[in-house]
This record gives sequence, C-alpha cells and structure tokens, in this order.
Amino acid sequence: MPRSWSSKVVAAALLGATPALGQAPGFRLTYGVRVLERVSGEVRPVATGAISGPQDTDMRLALRTDTTEVEALLDVFPEPDTVTLAGAFFTRRRAGRSHRGLPLWEVDSYRREARFAWGGTARLYPFGLRRTSADRLLWLEITVTRVFVGGETRPVESFTVSDSAVDMTVEAVVRPRRAAVRLTLARGDSTSAPQLLDMVPDAAGRRVRFVLGHRQSRTLDVTLTRPDPPLSGRDSALAIDADVVCLRVVDPAAPGPPPAWVRCGRLNNVARRLPLSDRDTLVATFAWPAAR
Amino acid sequence: MSLHEDWVRQIDAELDGELTLAERAALARHLAGCPACAGARASHLELRVALARSAGEPHARAVPRPRIRGRMVLLWVALSLLAGAAGGWLAHARWGGPGQGSLEASRAAFVVE
Repeated sequence: MPRSWSSKVVAAALLGATPALGQAPGFRLTYGVRVLERVSGEVRPVATGAISGPQDTDMRLALRTDTTEVEALLDVFPEPDTVTLAGAFFTRRRAGRSHRGLPLWEVDSYRREARFAWGGTARLYPFGLRRTSADRLLWLEITVTRVFVGGETRPVESFTVSDSAVDMTVEAVVRPRRAAVRLTLARGDSTSAPQLLDMVPDAAGRRVRFVLGHRQSRTLDVTLTRPDPPLSGRDSALAIDADVVCLRVVDPAAPGPPPAWVRCGRLNNVARRLPLSDRDTLVATFAWPAAR
Repeated sequence: MSLHEDWVRQIDAELDGELTLAERAALARHLAGCPACAGARASHLELRVALARSAGEPHARAVPRPRIRGRMVLLWVALSLLAGAAGGWLAHARWGGPGQGSLEASRAAFVVE
C-alpha cells in the first residue's frame, strides 16, 4: 500500500471515530439523599430529596449549626460496576471567643471517598461519628444510580426539609455545555427586539445585528466564554462558579483595534447590563437551554 | 483598745509572735502615732536582745518568727484551689474550651452499608 494511501486511511479512521466518541451513549446520574437524625435513640427523618443531571453532575452540600458549618462538593468516578463517591470538605468549627467576645472559628479542609456498587448507599456523617452531648447524631444516606439516556443536559433538583431547625442546602453543580443568551440593545428610550441565541462556551462567536427604530442599527460580535478560575482554593474546590458564563462583546465597526467588553453572570439569574458607550447599553440574560 | 497598758501588752504579744496579721497591722498603725508606745517597743526589743546575748546567743532573734499553723496553710491551699477552679469555669463559659474529642473525630466520614 503506498504511503499516501496509508495516511489517508488513518485520517479517515480518525475522522470516523471522533463523532462516534462524541455521540457515545451517556447516562444520567441521580443522587438520592435522605437526611436522618438520631436523638436519644430514636431515628427520625430530617430531609429527603434527589438530584439528577448529566454524568458530570456534582452535588454541593451545606450544613450549618450554631457551632459548625460544613460545605462539601461530592462527585462520582464511574466504573463499570462500581462508583466512587468522593467529596472535598470545608469545615468551620467554633473554637471559642476572643477577649472581646467575638466568636473564634477554626477552618479545616480535607477529602473523603467511598466506593460501592451502583445503586448502593453510603452513609455520610458530616459532623463525624462522635455524638453530641445531647446524644444527637445526624447523617445522610446517599444513593447513586444511573440511567442511560441522551439529550438531557439540565440538572433537576428536588429537596424537602421536614425539620426547619436544620439549616441545610443541597444543590446540583453542572457546568453548562450550552446556554440560552437573550440580548437586547438599549439606546436612549428605544430598545431593539430581543435576540435569542443558543451559544456554546468557548466556541466561535456570532455576529448579531440589533435594529433600533428607523435606519438605526448596530452590529456586534458576541462570544460566550468561561470565567477566570476562582482566586481562593475553597471557591475552586466547591465549584462556586460552575454555572457562570461570560459574554465577550466586540464592535467590528470600531476604528483601530476593536474594544472588547466582558460581562459575567449566572444562569437563570438577573439580567446583566453592559454599557457599550455613552448611549448604548447591552442587556444580557443567561439561562439553561430549553429541552430538545 | 485605748489604754496604754493594753498597747504595751499587745507589744509583748507581738514580740512573742502571738498576734494575728490584723492585730499586728492595728499595732503598727498605733505605733506610728504614739511615740510613747514606739519607745516602749524599742525598750522591750533592747531588753530581749540583751537577755538573748547574755544567754550565749549573740545572733539570737529578738523577735521570734510567727508560727505557721497547719490549719491555716490548708485553708489557704483550699481557697487557692477553689479560686482556680472558679476562674477556669468562668473562662470556659466565657471563651469556650478545646472541645470534646480530637479533630479527626469531628471530621466528616463515609460509611458504606
């Protein structure tokens, strides 16, 4: 076989394999959570819920008492028959009071992990296995399951707290693969029609034309990017910025090197205003894309 | 106590080491304002030193040391312990303590069922 033929065959094989990898059947991950508490020998449920999402979905957990705060990001490493549930924990404990009467806290960070079969349950004792003076012990029963589906990239959260004395939050953490961006250009008293874009972070930008009344328009190049990495290790480990995207706007008609404006915001949050000049303001809203 | 003779008896008792701290303080206060009693105390001291030297003790103390009573020592030790315990309890209530158990025992833990 000539060398040119062999290289073509290799290139064709690679081209054929790439989409196959990208379209590999994914699965939807579900964290089932039950929060239980034992007080004086009696076990009672505190909260229950479930979080599901694409296979890279993580679960952020926050628990607060008068003397301890626990924040954790739990993620899974899937294996064919087992799953490893790992967590990065950040804990603040009340260590006492200063001479001025202000509370003193000690901060602690560590990792924990457990390996069990798909559909199995792991108990998480967020405050340790030690019982408190009132013989109270709180724990979470976390069940990890998966269902092979495709096309669903949005997380779903359902969590019900039956004991309001326990301050806790459980939420899904998913980095969006796509985002629905709604753009409106405001100039004085007039605004353009909203432009709805389905954008992919860090992909090629779009050229958008905004029409403002008669014979007035403005064209902008918009690109969706990821935010800069968090400055603190805690924010990075807890993926505080997981659902944040940034809109980068360039005016192609500007003379010289085109100025770039950047505005970041969370998905499904308030509209972000981006002043482009003295008279123009771009209003952007980021949201999870609609189900397809 | 207002009579001069009473103060002279107190001076004797003080030189014998039989006065309490409060009685010694009262006597010292009186001696500061009564030159007659201060002179009487100096005379009593000189007499005692002379008697001690004649007895062959040139370095004998003119004034014997106050005797330390065992019960008083025990009382002070008990009072000190009580004060320390009360101070520790108040400090723990005010500023907290090191807490129960080790740091590792208070960390989160996974248990697979």
